[in-house]
Amino acid sequence: MPQVEFEKVGKSFGALAVMRELSFRIEDGEFAVLVGPSGCGKSTLLRMLAGLEEITAGEIRIAGRAVNDLPAKDRDIAMVFQSYALYPHMRVVENMGFSLRLRRAPKAAIAERVGAAARTLGLDRLLERYPRELSGGQRQRVAMGRALVRSPSVFLFDEPLSNLDAKLRVQMRTELRHLHQKLGATTIYVTHDQVEAMTMADRIVMMRDGAIEQVGRPLEIYDRPANHFVAGFIGSPAMNVLPGRIRAGADPAVALDGGGVLPLGHVPSLAPGRAVAVGIRPEHLRPDPDGPLLAEVEVIEPTGAETDLSCRCGGQPLMVALRDRGSYRPGQTLRLAPHAGPVHLFDAETSARLTHPESMIQEYDDDRHETRNG
Amino acid sequence: MTGATATQAARLLAAAARRRRLRVDPMGAALTALTLVAALAFFFPLYWALVTTVKPEVEVVRPGLRLWPETFTLEACAFVLTNSRILVWYLNSVVTSVAVTLLVILSSLLAGYALSQIAFPGRRLLYGMILASFIVPISALIVNHFLLVHRLGLLDSWAGIVLPQLIHPVVIIVYKQFFDAIPKEYREAAVVDGAGHFQLLFRIFLPMTTSVTAALAIITLISAWNNFLWPFLAQNSQEMMNVTVGITQVREAYGIRYARETASAVIAGLPMVMLNLVFQRQITRAIVLSGGIKA
Repeated sequence: MPQVEFEKVGKSFGALAVMRELSFRIEDGEFAVLVGPSGCGKSTLLRMLAGLEEITAGEIRIAGRAVNDLPAKDRDIAMVFQSYALYPHMRVVENMGFSLRLRRAPKAAIAERVGAAARTLGLDRLLERYPRELSGGQRQRVAMGRALVRSPSVFLFDEPLSNLDAKLRVQMRTELRHLHQKLGATTIYVTHDQVEAMTMADRIVMMRDGAIEQVGRPLEIYDRPANHFVAGFIGSPAMNVLPGRIRAGADPAVALDGGGVLPLGHVPSLAPGRAVAVGIRPEHLRPDPDGPLLAEVEVIEPTGAETDLSCRCGGQPLMVALRDRGSYRPGQTLRLAPHAGPVHLFDAETSARLTHPESMIQEYDDDRHETRNG
Repeated sequence: MTGATATQAARLLAAAARRRRLRVDPMGAALTALTLVAALAFFFPLYWALVTTVKPEVEVVRPGLRLWPETFTLEACAFVLTNSRILVWYLNSVVTSVAVTLLVILSSLLAGYALSQIAFPGRRLLYGMILASFIVPISALIVNHFLLVHRLGLLDSWAGIVLPQLIHPVVIIVYKQFFDAIPKEYREAAVVDGAGHFQLLFRIFLPMTTSVTAALAIITLISAWNNFLWPFLAQNSQEMMNVTVGITQVREAYGIRYARETASAVIAGLPMVMLNLVFQRQITRAIVLSGGIKA
């Protein structure tokens, strides 16, 4: 039985519908990440699940039980907030035990569970401190500890790492993932950071403008984005998208608007002349003297591990991520070809995915994946 | 850096420091002087009252200005303490002021929380009415209050003194504003933790606003203690008088004796002077908080 189910969930303010018919489910023990740009509704969705925001249509179920009309405290969830929301007048130990005290748990039981959570998170020596006496990372851990003592059936995280510096964020990301592996509790995590989504999720729910764009495993979304938007959001640097038209002729190919003809390995049954957008990930492009793309290098960004070339190809911006350090210079013209990865085709009008170049991507053993457009 | 340039730099730095020491800011000096004069003007009546209290009556009425008493005596204080009912008046003042303070804080806390955190029909209207209540000064309502308390049969009782003084919209408004300013995550975290409204208010919101509560309680206490008009109307028997009303009886009973009158006034004001000294910071804060709101 899925642990969390959203069935045709909607939210509207009067006549204005901000969310329409959202349906997806999260299995028991899964780490699901709701990701999308600011204002896409991911936090609202999480708050609806938490019972902090009302829903106006559909049904939310936790462990098979409809929770629409259940107050937050009875939903068996625990939430970690972006600002941590540690009660400033309570010591760490009181912050962590507050929910149990409200439930009138015996003192010995509270002490035991707070102690266990503190040991798990390495907070043993901070229990007598006030939140103001803690660093950002420690506060983050206390917020997690507060959720942990409840042993809820679902953990909710609302952008919990955004207030940390870059280094600590990477460290906490690993710790959170590690903790999830240890506890095995169903977790729903909201972030606008696609790297967090890719690295932490068992399942990504990609959102935009109050709608779900795609649900799937991280690599599945990376390799088979359901549309132009998902393709651009997941992956850094973002996928290159070049407009073109299907060329008439024996070999399937796209004539790019900016010049050049890109042969397609896979044969899509598309009418010649149809307007499409070709998506190529920057890391799938390689310099190739016979390559179909002619690009001019504008900016070179060496990161050590790879070299990112910001180019222009037929008037369109084109990013190339190369594994070698090479000797490139601004103004240089390069011939490029897609290698070692799929070429994605999207409908120019609807931006929906047109092809599944199965032959060029790895297969997934997961039969549960769901995509709206894919 | 060579030795010569180091010496030169040191000389220049010393000169700059000297200039800073000598430079007088004329505006600052003028403001300081003005503040001093104002402070003296405020302080002098208090000083005069204190000095008069410890003078014998003959010295008080002797013509001429003497800033320091020739003879020190506590005769006036002793007289007031032994010949008037000032201790009973004290008790009345303590009971009624503390009751007013506790009830105002409790009711305003609840009202401020409800107005800030609970969406109920008519909330804006209610808040508008509370804001509008500033338009009508309490003294304009005093006849109504008198008739009401009279009909309730509460004249000459502690309850009669306390009830009309519970109207303190400013405290409600300050609480509402403070609760509005508490980030909503605290509330949500507590709701997810399982807190209801009373737990939210008393275990999360109130502890987060203790300094505000202290400041509001102190100014409410001071204003209740110093209140004269209402207790003067509502209390007729000497047994039930507040100290502010009672001290007017000292003159009526024994004729004009300046030393005794100032002594009774000094004794009446003493607790508030002490409160002011101890809680200076909270009082300043309370004035800042209610500044621009207080009618």
